[in-house]
Amino acid sequence: MSRQHDSFTVISINHEIAPLEVRERYSLDDAKVEALYAQLHANPQISESLILNTCNRFELYTECASEASERFVLQELAKSYGVEIAELEQHLHLRSGREAVQHLIEVSAGLRSQITGEAEIFGQVKAAYAVSQDNGYAGKTINRVFQKGFQAAKLIRNSTSVGEGQINIANVAVDLAGKIFGELNSAAALSLGTGEIGEKTVKALRSRGAKTFGIASRSQARAEAVAQEWGGTPRLLQDLETYLPEYDIVIASVGAEEAVITRKIVKNCFARRKGRPLFLIDLGLPRNIEQCCEDFDNIFLYNLDDLATIADENLAQRKQAVVDATAIAAQKSEFIWNAILKRREYEQKQA
Amino acid sequence: MNNILFGLADKQWIWVATVVFASTFVLGSYSALKLRRKTGRPYILGLVTFGWILQTIGLYARGLQYGGCPLSNQFELVQFMVWSAIAIYIFVGPAFRVSLLGVFTSGFACVFSILSLVFSHWDNPSREPIFGDSPWIETHAALALFSYGVFGVLTLTSAMYLLQSRSLKTKKVVGGLFPFLPSIVELVHINRRLLIMGFAILTVSLAIGYKYFIEDLDSVLAVKLAATIAVWIAYAVTLTLRQKFALSSKKFAWACIGIFLAALLSLAAVNRSTKTTSPQADLAPAPPAEVS
Repeated sequence: MSRQHDSFTVISINHEIAPLEVRERYSLDDAKVEALYAQLHANPQISESLILNTCNRFELYTECASEASERFVLQELAKSYGVEIAELEQHLHLRSGREAVQHLIEVSAGLRSQITGEAEIFGQVKAAYAVSQDNGYAGKTINRVFQKGFQAAKLIRNSTSVGEGQINIANVAVDLAGKIFGELNSAAALSLGTGEIGEKTVKALRSRGAKTFGIASRSQARAEAVAQEWGGTPRLLQDLETYLPEYDIVIASVGAEEAVITRKIVKNCFARRKGRPLFLIDLGLPRNIEQCCEDFDNIFLYNLDDLATIADENLAQRKQAVVDATAIAAQKSEFIWNAILKRREYEQKQA
Repeated sequence: MNNILFGLADKQWIWVATVVFASTFVLGSYSALKLRRKTGRPYILGLVTFGWILQTIGLYARGLQYGGCPLSNQFELVQFMVWSAIAIYIFVGPAFRVSLLGVFTSGFACVFSILSLVFSHWDNPSREPIFGDSPWIETHAALALFSYGVFGVLTLTSAMYLLQSRSLKTKKVVGGLFPFLPSIVELVHINRRLLIMGFAILTVSLAIGYKYFIEDLDSVLAVKLAATIAVWIAYAVTLTLRQKFALSSKKFAWACIGIFLAALLSLAAVNRSTKTTSPQADLAPAPPAEVS
């Protein structure tokens, strides 16, 4: 019976145990992943396998025939990398049975990601499962573990705050814009400056439904070129006062010694906005917007430090939620693994 | 004054309804603040509707003795206002799609219902029948109270606006109620619509009341008249200033809260100064009626 407990195994080389240069060494391209699958399935002792290969982790899930041990899988993997087992062992986590199931749930829910709670990993695990399934490498155990594991991961993301709150500055700004304007498709955004952070924020706003953009630069040619690239109306920075009232969200990231948006400009603009709120995002260093602009009702000003603090608080909140999430993962993995064992027992008796 | 319906007295029905409102408020708040997740709107709506049905049974049992709306004393006025506010949440609220409005409304209902139940003198003495033989005066009173229910919900959405605006201004946007409250632009639109709705209902109510006031100038005392007109003018001025964008959203929200509190105080004046329309009205309260 204990033999069967260990038949399902995961070998994981990830950011928690392996530094970047080691992960680079063990990272595989698509061709190598295919070759590894072929190598594993040429061997009758490995009945099922699944490879998860992302920028931060390489993981090999296997279900072995009764006479094989996890050592055997490790040996096969070392062979494919052309290294000694001892060297490989220094940089990996090896888990089997219920612990392997829990590991899968935690990875899928983003609990073990470098940025705690990030959602991208869930899609990557699903894609890896689809590849394994389509090629016939997944069998009874992997199918059950992954399908039930996905349900558990979804439960964790829905019932804990592990994925809540944005943790990069552009997305924090966009979340705040949503809290001010609701649906962003009716909010017009203006980027003062054409730098990278402005571009990221514009893209993030567009991805959340914003449709109207203005791109302002000191040079008409530059404004036109960037407006064409990002999508929007080119504006001259010097004429800011004339068109500022048309916009609801202003992203300022201009390289300037003096503030570009002053209290006086905001006051003039305020009267023409008919009470509609104005969200000022100051991403410039030195700051582009005078701090006193936020004294007006309905004007919300956030600078780089404010956004970074919110991102940090969100991350801290996610990390706090990991404790609850891990408890759910442990409980669900116990349930899933026990169900698999019972099913095996039943099948053995039938045989 | 115990009117039994389906085995429970009117006040017992109202007590049970109050417990349901309180439970909804506690559940919604605990879920948002402690569990950090929003209780699904259908659950809150279901619970509030259940409480409202219980309250309706209680008020219906109470109304049977008058043969009309139970609006004869302060207890009944407050209960009817709470009933109206909940009705607005149930029938109009879903269109607003505002998170936590159900939790706020159940809290509002719970607080006012408990106050009206705890202060036993609010339910005494009762005059009956209160509207004589005129259904129009009853309509006037019911509409006026219903508009107060709308203004009650407006007060809640105004408080939500102020909370959300303050969180954004002070940059305290992680944790608390912030993630569950709607955007401030949505709240501004909702506040405007609620004010228009409440003001229209109050205006119709006063128009009906005016017709009877003109016919019998002594039927309404000056205090009641002054309080009623003051509330109407206050809301009219607020609405006009808002429509002309002469009032910021923050001042508008504060104004809505302030006027509602003043309007609640005026309820006492309205109650004290209501003259009866029937010679029987000054008679002692009727003995308990079995109406089931």
